Amino acid sequence: MNTQFKKGVLELCVLALLNKQDRYGYEIVQKISEQMVISEGSVYPLLRRLKKEDYLTTYLQESNEGPPRKYYKLTEKGRNHLRNLHEEWMQFSDGVNQIIKDGGLHE
Amino acid sequence: MNKQQFLTALEKELKKLPHEEREEIIQDFEEHFYIGMANGKSEEEISQSLGSPKQIAKEIAAVSRIEKIETSATAGNVLRAVWAVIGLGFFNFVTVFGPFLALLAVVFVGWFIGVAFIASPLILLVSAINHPGMFDLFSLFFSIMLCGSGWFIVRGMLYVTKGLTDLLVRYLRYNVSLVKGGLKHD
Repeated sequence: MNTQFKKGVLELCVLALLNKQDRYGYEIVQKISEQMVISEGSVYPLLRRLKKEDYLTTYLQESNEGPPRKYYKLTEKGRNHLRNLHEEWMQFSDGVNQIIKDGGLHE
Repeated sequence: MNKQQFLTALEKELKKLPHEEREEIIQDFEEHFYIGMANGKSEEEISQSLGSPKQIAKEIAAVSRIEKIETSATAGNVLRAVWAVIGLGFFNFVTVFGPFLALLAVVFVGWFIGVAFIASPLILLVSAINHPGMFDLFSLFFSIMLCGSGWFIVRGMLYVTKGLTDLLVRYLRYNVSLVKGGLKHD
């Protein structure tokens, strides 16, 4: 499947990954590409945008192996944004699922 | 493509960004390579999963251009941002170029009418000098009325232009967040 889909979904994924814990870039990219095929490089422009919009902050933390890593942390504003995106996503996917069900398709 | 080739290509594509920002981006990708290699991946594997440095740079540049309109909405900055978003891919060309031309047409026509109305007494004067026989009072009053309404149109266009620019920024933002890809498990 090779289709245009919204980076809005990618945005939701990134924010959701940061909901419970701070993570570094590589970790975020890995988690997403376990589930989806994406150009992994586009996660970084997205992280920059989310930071510019004050949804995320960053800090450096020493690592056991190698140089310090840049961690991303959700801000309060980012948390609110995540809630909104999540709500929208639920409404959207419920709608699609309902239509699929009405169409007589099964999971 | 190995790590050095990837980073060199990315840096080259980002040469229009401020130095600090570019350094920061390069550092992010260096970190990505470092951790990937520590996890046993080869430089080639990592750069292949990252995708084209050119495309990554385009996305970063588009975001940065849109930011710029928000601090100073000059015609040049607006054009550069539209151009950057269109350059992201064919899909963005289709969704951005048409609406942009339409907006441009509305703004252009609005300003043109406003300015022409304001200038109409002047135009009448010039034509009266050239063809003295054609002059009548009705045209004079009419052009003065046009001049007045032109003034209102121009004032309105100031707001309209500002509003449409904001709208365009929002729309460009939205377009930057469209990406190519697919789900893995199907």
